[in-house]
Amino acid sequence: MTDHLPNLGRENEMLAAMGHASMDDLFIELPENVRCKEPLALPEAQSEEEILADARKLLGSNLDLGSTVNFLGSGLYRNFVPSSVFQLITRGEFLTSYTPYQPEVSQGMLQAMWEFQSLITELVGLPIANLSVYDGSTAAAEAITCAVRVHARKAEQKNTVYVSELIPPDRLSVIQNYTQGSELIIKSMKHDENGHIPLEEWKKASGSCAVYVEQPNPLGIMDQSLFSAKETLGNHTAFIVGIQPVSLGVFEPPGNYDADIVVGEGQPLGSPVTYGGPLYGIFACTKPYLRQMPGRIVGRTIDVDGKEAYCLTLSTREQHIRRHRATSNLCTNETLIAMMGAMHMALLGPEGIETLGLRNLASRQLLQNEISKLSDIHLPYGASQHFNEFVIELPYPAEECLDYLERFGVIGGLDLSRWYDGWNHRLLISTSDQTSKSDIKILLNHLSKWLTSKSEVIA
Amino acid sequence: MSRLFDHDGAPGSGYAQPSPLIDKETIQVTDAFKRKVMPKWPRISEPEMVRHYTWLSKRNFGIDTGFYPLGSCTMKHNPRVNEVIAQLPGIADIHPLQPDHQIQGLLNIYYEMQDMLAICAGMDAVTLQPVAGAQGEFTAIRCIQEYFRNKGELQRNKVIVPDSAHGTNPASAAMAGYEIIEIPSLQDGRLDLDALRSVVDEDTAAMMITNPNTLGLFEIDIAEASAIVHGVGGQMYYDGANFNAILGRTSPGLMGFDAVHYNLHKTFSQPHGGGGPGSGPIGVKSHLAPFLPGPVAARRPISEGDTLTLANDEFWYYWHEPELSIGKVQQWHGNAGAVIRCWAYYRRYGKHLKLMSEHAVMNANYLRHRIQEEAKIAGLSEYIVDGAPADVVKHEFTLSMAKLKEDKGVGAMDVAKGLLDMGYMAPTVYFPLVVPECMMIEPTETESKATLDEFAKKFIQVLALDPETLHQAPITTPVRRVDEVHAARNLWLRHDGVDR
Repeated sequence: MTDHLPNLGRENEMLAAMGHASMDDLFIELPENVRCKEPLALPEAQSEEEILADARKLLGSNLDLGSTVNFLGSGLYRNFVPSSVFQLITRGEFLTSYTPYQPEVSQGMLQAMWEFQSLITELVGLPIANLSVYDGSTAAAEAITCAVRVHARKAEQKNTVYVSELIPPDRLSVIQNYTQGSELIIKSMKHDENGHIPLEEWKKASGSCAVYVEQPNPLGIMDQSLFSAKETLGNHTAFIVGIQPVSLGVFEPPGNYDADIVVGEGQPLGSPVTYGGPLYGIFACTKPYLRQMPGRIVGRTIDVDGKEAYCLTLSTREQHIRRHRATSNLCTNETLIAMMGAMHMALLGPEGIETLGLRNLASRQLLQNEISKLSDIHLPYGASQHFNEFVIELPYPAEECLDYLERFGVIGGLDLSRWYDGWNHRLLISTSDQTSKSDIKILLNHLSKWLTSKSEVIA
Repeated sequence: MSRLFDHDGAPGSGYAQPSPLIDKETIQVTDAFKRKVMPKWPRISEPEMVRHYTWLSKRNFGIDTGFYPLGSCTMKHNPRVNEVIAQLPGIADIHPLQPDHQIQGLLNIYYEMQDMLAICAGMDAVTLQPVAGAQGEFTAIRCIQEYFRNKGELQRNKVIVPDSAHGTNPASAAMAGYEIIEIPSLQDGRLDLDALRSVVDEDTAAMMITNPNTLGLFEIDIAEASAIVHGVGGQMYYDGANFNAILGRTSPGLMGFDAVHYNLHKTFSQPHGGGGPGSGPIGVKSHLAPFLPGPVAARRPISEGDTLTLANDEFWYYWHEPELSIGKVQQWHGNAGAVIRCWAYYRRYGKHLKLMSEHAVMNANYLRHRIQEEAKIAGLSEYIVDGAPADVVKHEFTLSMAKLKEDKGVGAMDVAKGLLDMGYMAPTVYFPLVVPECMMIEPTETESKATLDEFAKKFIQVLALDPETLHQAPITTPVRRVDEVHAARNLWLRHDGVDR
């Protein structure tokens, strides 16, 4: 611990310089009744090498996905992130800086975030993006509260928002926590047998404050009904679309089909999964939402000499100025992870993001085709366009299937009963650019063996 | 200038990807969905990209660059072993939907962190789910809200905050739907108990306060304040932004608090990364524990049939859903990567965390003393005015530049810019709002005596500069004073021009 405290051993000298006899003098005003009577009941200090050794043992006993054949995704995806990204973000000037309150010595981070905003606006097809919120779930929640502030007065369905029924329960729970303070009514939008939202559902939502849907949806399905949704919803209903950013390398961006706000989990671009955090939330919007948007935004400007410069702008929306009237309590965000995203996007370029999207599509298509040949497996949404994941229906519980596959080092996907009641036989299988032909072969092999073994037991 | 969007190199020059698993022509995309126009992204090769970001980094100031006395932000050294650990595949490459038996090591560390944080703050239960301090505040206020709803005390619609509070406090409580009652501080910056008594009633849900307060002073009446709020049935909420000052000396639990958030990116050294990621766990007393966002890490003794690993030879770890949970504030389990770094940090101190706080407080008092001494030598003592009078401060202190402004027309911002020219990050300026022309200085425990001595000298040298020089400052930085008004009036938020 001495390596953290440069003044260890110099306490007496420094205290004496101030005219104090002991460290206790510096805590003299603490009333007796609030003082700690006992030392902290914690273990002994460790050296760096001991901590590293413990970390390797503890973290080493987790099953890391790189040592498995993995088909688990469901919102977080293991696309390859180029090595230079990891090298660059450990530069201390980035890593150890605070929020850029002094722009003259924070130009690097400010410009990088302005470039991030530019990359995101290009990707999603909207004119404005902030420099990230916490993650995809809080981005969705903040988008809804932002939209309600904009439309509260003119919306016909007062205080009402509509959310797709397929939103995973944990994401919905975040939305509920963020919106309950403004007493919003959250109504559910149904999907049809192809996983699409029928016209009557859009009509029902028309005149509400906002609609939140995802494209691809949480089952990996693309839905053409979104292309004409804004027309049905009308001008006083915010059309909010949650995206998987990699999909926009191949699919039309929501900005081109009149989305008002686009949010999403940025992680598949630039960041490892890291057990679900830190991530970064994408938040982009059209101009009417700008002054009600949460979080920080960088503007390009000039210095006193007229030189190109960058700074945080539109701060009057924020908590440190507006206090309880702020658009959000957001302060610390996910800047460094967003920067990883920017680096990854920069290296990809327009052709690279298309290739990355195609690789995701191709892996899913190959696997989906092969699985559809297994006679006991049904693909309930097989006719719809998918991106990088799809649902299969098994003749036996999905949980048993996953247990069987795990014995052979295969993580087969997500047991969908964890999201939706009664979906015990359904599995959500996800692919990424890391899915190989041999991964697919191994999964198919063990899947058919499992099916055979089950049918033999029953026979 | 190096600009990302100026690069228009060869297509696909950034990094070569393997081909898709099937022929491009056979990949099925319904025409309607097909992207027609690709994003107008730059095309940049790896060597150019590395140089661009290295160039940017040289235009950015971090703790690694120099002394960073940014008050309220606890900018301490970030040990590098923590970064090494956070990159191990056992954390970087695990997924939050993996079952418990595949992540015993992760759960073990979460359990240890929950336990450690509870002990440090005198709380009974902890969740690591909130990903930032402000989200921690919001989460704790939500728990308090559900606690009262569960008790049927639905009329409690007010949250009290002192006027010196961080802006996130009222913003977080307002997000949960509360009416905010702001109470003024006393002349010396401390809590006004009479003002508190005059606003509490049966509608009070909670009081939010940080201690030491944002002036760096310990609220000596804190136990009395807790008694007043508890007296009307309200809850006490501790903003942990200033926790670095008190570990092992006192605790929010001893002061009478019911809930607390921790800023792991301050007290426990998660690097701030230019604005994030952070981590903002909360701790609560047992009566609020059932309402915590779920799940939290729990453990039981090993039993037969458990899959044993190096992480669970004694206990089986599992996710546990609190029975009356408010639900989720982040979809997964918080910023696990930050939690792991802070676990490594805390292990370095163990039971000696008290020493960390003592050195933080010693360094703050020493720097304050040295600035006063240097001012005396230079005959500038009249300009070193405490934001609030005090014999000792805690981890930070405030100075008011009001007299300097009055006499010479040099304000806190001018001094801040002058310090940038001296090679320092500026202290926090104009906060807390209760101190005119405020500079808030927090050196942290990881600065050496030599650095503090040198800064004290340079600080006074800056005060001694002629006003014109300070109005012109900074002149040595990558850009000079940035026109923020111009930025707000001519919104230029993306690469292809001003938005009209």
